[in-house]
Amino acid sequence: MTSDEALMLEFQGGSRAAFEELFARYHKPLYGFFRRRLNNPERAEDLAQETFLAVIRAASRYEPRALVRTYLCGIALKLLAAERRKFLTSSTSGQSAPEPKTDGTPDCVLWVRQALEKLDGTEREILMLREYEQLSYSDIAELLRIPVNTVRSKLFRSRLALKSYLESEEKNNPSPRASVRQPHPGRRGINEHE
Amino acid sequence: MAYFDGELPTERATEALSHLELCPECQTLAADFRVVSQELMAWEVESTEVGISSKINAALAERLQKRQAAKISWPRLENRVMTSRWVWAGALAIVCLAVGLKLTLTSRNQNENRSTAYPSMASIEQYLMPDRNAEIALARSAAPAAISSDAKILVLGWRGYETAIEGKNGFVCVVERSWGSPFNSADFWNPKVRVPMCFNPAAARSILPLTIKRTEMVLAGMSKAQMIDSIKAGFNNKELPAPAPGAMCYMMSRAGYLNDALGHYVPHLMFYFPLTDKSSWGADLPDSPVTLNPQFRDGPEPITEFVIPVGKWSDGTAAPVM
Repeated sequence: MTSDEALMLEFQGGSRAAFEELFARYHKPLYGFFRRRLNNPERAEDLAQETFLAVIRAASRYEPRALVRTYLCGIALKLLAAERRKFLTSSTSGQSAPEPKTDGTPDCVLWVRQALEKLDGTEREILMLREYEQLSYSDIAELLRIPVNTVRSKLFRSRLALKSYLESEEKNNPSPRASVRQPHPGRRGINEHE
Repeated sequence: MAYFDGELPTERATEALSHLELCPECQTLAADFRVVSQELMAWEVESTEVGISSKINAALAERLQKRQAAKISWPRLENRVMTSRWVWAGALAIVCLAVGLKLTLTSRNQNENRSTAYPSMASIEQYLMPDRNAEIALARSAAPAAISSDAKILVLGWRGYETAIEGKNGFVCVVERSWGSPFNSADFWNPKVRVPMCFNPAAARSILPLTIKRTEMVLAGMSKAQMIDSIKAGFNNKELPAPAPGAMCYMMSRAGYLNDALGHYVPHLMFYFPLTDKSSWGADLPDSPVTLNPQFRDGPEPITEFVIPVGKWSDGTAAPVM
């Protein structure tokens, strides 16, 4: 399988097929990136596409210094920041924020959203970049322009916070997250040890 | 926690793994963090079937056209400007010579840097793991606990691999060292390499003997050429078996160190066959998750090895995407 970095270089050299392969590999992860951070699926799709537009525009300047995954997350984070700024401006001019969609959303997802909402913004972003985008500590540090040790400590804190939230929720209301507690198919779940 | 995230270098990961085996407090914390991780993973985003948008298509076409135009414009420019072909040819030759010389030197320096990083075997102590329990834990981390907890465990000693724990399920877990790499690998003598592998019974019978043999030859001080000859002879006289049907191996440890280029790499499974065309598995084709491992390519072993990455480390936590 051709590496992402090799594909980027092929695209830089003029290969459309290489771009299409990168799109196939990263469209869904990028959509997921925006979808988990915005409440609007259409906007998430637009921004995923805009990330690829930015890749096309910056292709001539691309240097394989980082993993393509990290490179794309860097672009996505910038687009997200711009989107949030735009949203803040439009909010102050009278438009209301979209309400989180809850219809048909599984309880386990609602719980995760609520738990993440409780974290401080940077901690939340670090945790999400680690868990969902699977970035390394150093990549997260570079993208967010913070020291690696800060990534490490905030990650630890946010996981502890989520763990406490999980425990308190379990005490108060054990049913909503029942679906999450099922072991993953094909292997023993953590909870089987309990 | 850095261990949990696969962020520790091998030595420290091994120490952490070893500590984790003995520390109930850390085990609880690790289990809690895994639950948190699993809970987070429950948030799956709905799939989107949207393809490349017309906006992207247009931008793509524009960029590719510009690139094409840039390529075409050079010969035209050349026709206009080049009044004396010989003068230009001479100048071009000088430039090429200079660039070629620079590239050759740079490339040679890079190759030398890479190939001379581990030019010969280091002292044997550097390949051994002083903490036997740490090596056992590292070997076990190759496969999910459901498999490795009942597996036979081998550890490397001064005289070769020795049985540390007898198994019950026919699997054998072992931490391979750098000499398990291809003979032309720059990491062949890299003492940092630690490759946890868990062979299924078929591979334990037919592939593990290679690991054992290579190790014996290394410890006997044989040269690479002697080892290659000996392996060829071993296959010819059937001392070394062909891969048994169904031979495979788990390599799902987050604490391994495959080589300087790959580090921990990603969790994966390996499947062994007598020499087989890679097309029979669709290996290395676009979108195929199967790759042909260069492990035995151009080597003395008549073995084909396919690799399939998996999404989780052996402890069940999510692994980076390829």
